[in-house]
Amino acid sequence: MRILMVEDESKTADYLARGLGEAGYRVEVARDGLDGRHLIEEADFDLIILDVMLPGLDGWELLRLIRRRSQVPVLFLTARDAVEYRVKGLELGADDYLVKPFSFVELLARVRTLLRRGPPRERERFQVADLHMDVLKRRVTRGESRLSLTNQEFALLQLLLEREGEVLSRTLIAAEVWGMNFDSDTNVVEVAVRRLRAKVDDPFPRRLIHTERGMGYVLEERP
Amino acid sequence: MRVPASLSLRLSLLFALVTLLLLGGLGAYLYHALGQQIAWRDDRMLQGRLERMEALLDDGESIAALRRRPLLYANMLGNRESLLWMLDARGAPLIEVNPPGLPVPALPPAPEGRLGEHPAVASTRLAWRSVEHDGRRLTLVAGKTLEERERMLAAYRLRLWLAMGAGAVLACGLGWVVARRGLRPVRRLAERARTIDVAHLHQRLEASDETAELRELSRALNQMLARLEEGFAQLSRFSEDLAHEMRTPLGNLLGATQQVLQRERSPEEYRQLLGSHVEEYERLSRMIETMLFLARTEQPSRTLPREAIELRALVEPLCDYFEGMAEDDGRALINCTQGRVTANLDLLRRALANLIDNALRHGDGGTEIRLVSLAEDGWLRIGVVSHGAPIPDAQRERLFERFYRGDPARSRPAGTGGLGLAIVRSVAQLHGGEAWCESDAAATVFWLSLPVDGGRAAN
Repeated sequence: MRILMVEDESKTADYLARGLGEAGYRVEVARDGLDGRHLIEEADFDLIILDVMLPGLDGWELLRLIRRRSQVPVLFLTARDAVEYRVKGLELGADDYLVKPFSFVELLARVRTLLRRGPPRERERFQVADLHMDVLKRRVTRGESRLSLTNQEFALLQLLLEREGEVLSRTLIAAEVWGMNFDSDTNVVEVAVRRLRAKVDDPFPRRLIHTERGMGYVLEERP
Repeated sequence: MRVPASLSLRLSLLFALVTLLLLGGLGAYLYHALGQQIAWRDDRMLQGRLERMEALLDDGESIAALRRRPLLYANMLGNRESLLWMLDARGAPLIEVNPPGLPVPALPPAPEGRLGEHPAVASTRLAWRSVEHDGRRLTLVAGKTLEERERMLAAYRLRLWLAMGAGAVLACGLGWVVARRGLRPVRRLAERARTIDVAHLHQRLEASDETAELRELSRALNQMLARLEEGFAQLSRFSEDLAHEMRTPLGNLLGATQQVLQRERSPEEYRQLLGSHVEEYERLSRMIETMLFLARTEQPSRTLPREAIELRALVEPLCDYFEGMAEDDGRALINCTQGRVTANLDLLRRALANLIDNALRHGDGGTEIRLVSLAEDGWLRIGVVSHGAPIPDAQRERLFERFYRGDPARSRPAGTGGLGLAIVRSVAQLHGGEAWCESDAAATVFWLSLPVDGGRAAN
């Protein structure tokens, strides 16, 4: 998967490129708008990450240029979160936007979603190690025992299973499970994960839900 | 014409203008009245002369005898302006006293006596009358040239003009003095106002010794000063709090990093440090995000998209969201709300989330948190009822200020610290509503009051 990143702030560009590289993507970085245009015209990418404020050509211009050529997913990075900016970006054909400062986990999650292309397939069954979920029957079992989960816990577990192996930030979990689109001080997500763990992990010798400090939560089988 | 900038000058010029108009009107009236008076007197005199001539004729004096004494008439008339003619039926003068040498007037017959101008010479007044004498038709004419009258009136006019001019100048000067004196309290007020600057915002203008109008003005200014002082105090308190709040995470970052860099550490220790850093960064980031949010919502010109919101449907998922936290210390969230309100969905949700969060943090464990609503007179009041130690009055006033904490101990290490309720108030104000708190031993209620129509009336 090739990603083009147009970002003039060198520190930001460096760590993003490194991080995305480590996540398994091939990243090319353009340091200004003109470079960006050049690369867009030269090669095909699977995803383009665009900063709005750029020397040379700004993000809006580049987006127009891209949209004339292809439907490649575009993720906007902007330091301004005023509604009109977001609306403008989305109207011009951006697929998503992130407001600076954003967490890297957040960016990674969005990149994955965009690259997945199209709506995620509704899965009916999940299995990780000895944990099974049957979405239609609303049945969760681990090994031999059947787990009884509240609606909230079920939704949370389903999200973690759908994104198995991905680190999910608190913000993303709050948005996906409860539709709460704001960042608040509350530790609702921590509490919810703790309660889920108490049922899914605590009674069993092998832990599946892991905390990545400062990043979020991930469900996966670890040796 | 440009209006002069000084109030004193403007007043004195207006004063002069008024005086000029008054004096001018008066002068014109007097001048006119005098002219009429003089003309009337002259006419009476001319008519009197005619009568005396007629009497002379009636006394039986023959015309021939009269004609012999022209000097007598001249002396009788006494000056060079008076005229006298006695004309026969053909208009030829039988007697003529005519020092200025005017032509003999041709006059229409007038048995009743008439007054008029000389038909050939302007500014000469004549009175004439036709009489029968000894079977002859005679015309008696008495006249007067108006030169003297006009000279006199011209002199009078000049004096009037001079008086008017002098009056206007005098009025202007007096007006200036009076205006300066009258406006002295205003200057005193200005002087006192000048001494008030940022460092002396607590000073007030004295209003007791001033006139009624200025008392009104100084009272209004004092109120403005009070508001400014309050706003200023709040702002500086806020900046201080903000600096303090930011200093804590920055201090942690700096200190912890330097401590770890003292010597080589295991990768696990570095990982620990970075993880802890992320938490601090998130705290700073949230703080900044919230500050921006507050700054934006407090812009008075800002308008937000609003929609009709079913309150119960809004609160239900919020209760669901906080359910886990509530159950953790044996509490329950009960949604008793109903009604509709037009508001911005995101902001209202956020405000209510903050209120529930606040109730969860500060209420006692094992109690319930109830969300209630009350509709009256176009307002919808939404209350979050919790139970715990009552909040003292003095604290209740300040709860909604940014960074204010009822509990000085930093009970929430990862929080942005006391911005939650500030957001609630900000959201309320943005909708033209308000937020307040009631608290006693039985319960603590945080109220959010919004206009049902979305604050259109308030805007």
